Amino acid sequence: MNRLILKYGTVVTVVILAIFAWVIYRRVADGGVAEIVLLASTAVVVWVFGSFALIYFWPRITVGGFKRIFARRGLGGGPIPVNTLYASPDSATASASSGSVIATGTDDVLYVGGWLDVAAGPQLLHVPEMGERYYSVQFTDPVTGANFAYVGSRATGGAAGDFFLCEPGYEGAMPHGTSRIDVPHRSALLIGRVFVADDDDREAAYALAKQIQLAAV
Amino acid sequence: MSNFFAWVAGSGVVQGVIMGLTFAYLTTVLILNAVAKAQTRTINGWSAIRRAGQPGNGLLLRAALQKALPVVNSFDEAAYWTATSDAAGRRLQGDRAYRLHFAANQLPPNDAFWSLTATDTGGYQVSTASGTSSVNSHSGLVENADGSVDILLQAHEPSDAGRNWLATPRGRFKLMLRVYLPGAGIVDGEYAVPPVVEVQS
Repeated sequence: MNRLILKYGTVVTVVILAIFAWVIYRRVADGGVAEIVLLASTAVVVWVFGSFALIYFWPRITVGGFKRIFARRGLGGGPIPVNTLYASPDSATASASSGSVIATGTDDVLYVGGWLDVAAGPQLLHVPEMGERYYSVQFTDPVTGANFAYVGSRATGGAAGDFFLCEPGYEGAMPHGTSRIDVPHRSALLIGRVFVADDDDREAAYALAKQIQLAAV
Repeated sequence: MSNFFAWVAGSGVVQGVIMGLTFAYLTTVLILNAVAKAQTRTINGWSAIRRAGQPGNGLLLRAALQKALPVVNSFDEAAYWTATSDAAGRRLQGDRAYRLHFAANQLPPNDAFWSLTATDTGGYQVSTASGTSSVNSHSGLVENADGSVDILLQAHEPSDAGRNWLATPRGRFKLMLRVYLPGAGIVDGEYAVPPVVEVQS
């Protein structure tokens, strides 16, 4: 759908604007300028407030779009339930014909995706021993669209680890040996990336990517 | 009651709402594109937005950057460049051939890896002649005698085997260079990706 909008956006816009022009022309032709006063004033008010609202909500709409994609289609393996992570075994090119969101990625990483929600209680993120292999798990805020936290080679190193994900006000107990990450708006889009050197390496990378998992505490 | 609905329908309020929403959408797209463009640094035809995904962006900026590069990595995790036109400013076309020439020691500095992909203009991978649409720091790129690296970008496989080749899609396309854990030269803004130059295929 996004592809179609991108491809035919200009044409569709021109057609819609032409229809609007025709509607206004018909009204003016039938009953003079008085016929469009209410239409025009409504349009201006909706235009001004609508523009502000759209800009304000744009990050939410975008991140929410990914949430819906994960919940409905997943990344090639069917819907991904909330608080589970799915690792895609396929490369971006292999997903090309499917129109999957994976196809916007690159072949050099395996993607892991899921939606985190800690409103009902904290979650644990487990990552396996990655050693020198590059990986990252990006936490994207659903309200601002900012990446508020990272787990991975750069942020936390290549060792295995468990991360305690909770709402900022959480004061309960934390399992021993876990690192705490506060989730500002109690939910987040998680995107994991695990480096794949070549096709021969894909299996090994996938075995590791699958071990990046969420679990209830 | 039915009189009221008839009045609403005939008065133009409904049409006004539809038009207002359409204009609001178009205005938003224009504003966000303009804001994103102001944040975009383009050198040699390659565009990068450093503040995408960073916390602390204002209302307008975060919306604009989500539109330009939705849910991408922060720049210090992975730097992204995109190009849709060649060094001469002409749009990249699948029926032409291009060369990307990295001078010796001028491949993107990084602490992880880099990758170059060719996609359709919407950013989606398309099936190509080589079955893959990326080359990367682990592709075993062949160096020239002087240590420089040339990558040939064209739809069909080059006749002389052993050339570094990135298969490109049909029609207009977009290049994306990703550098994971970008090195100092990228983080401080000194590094520039070389231009994509059209060559005879």
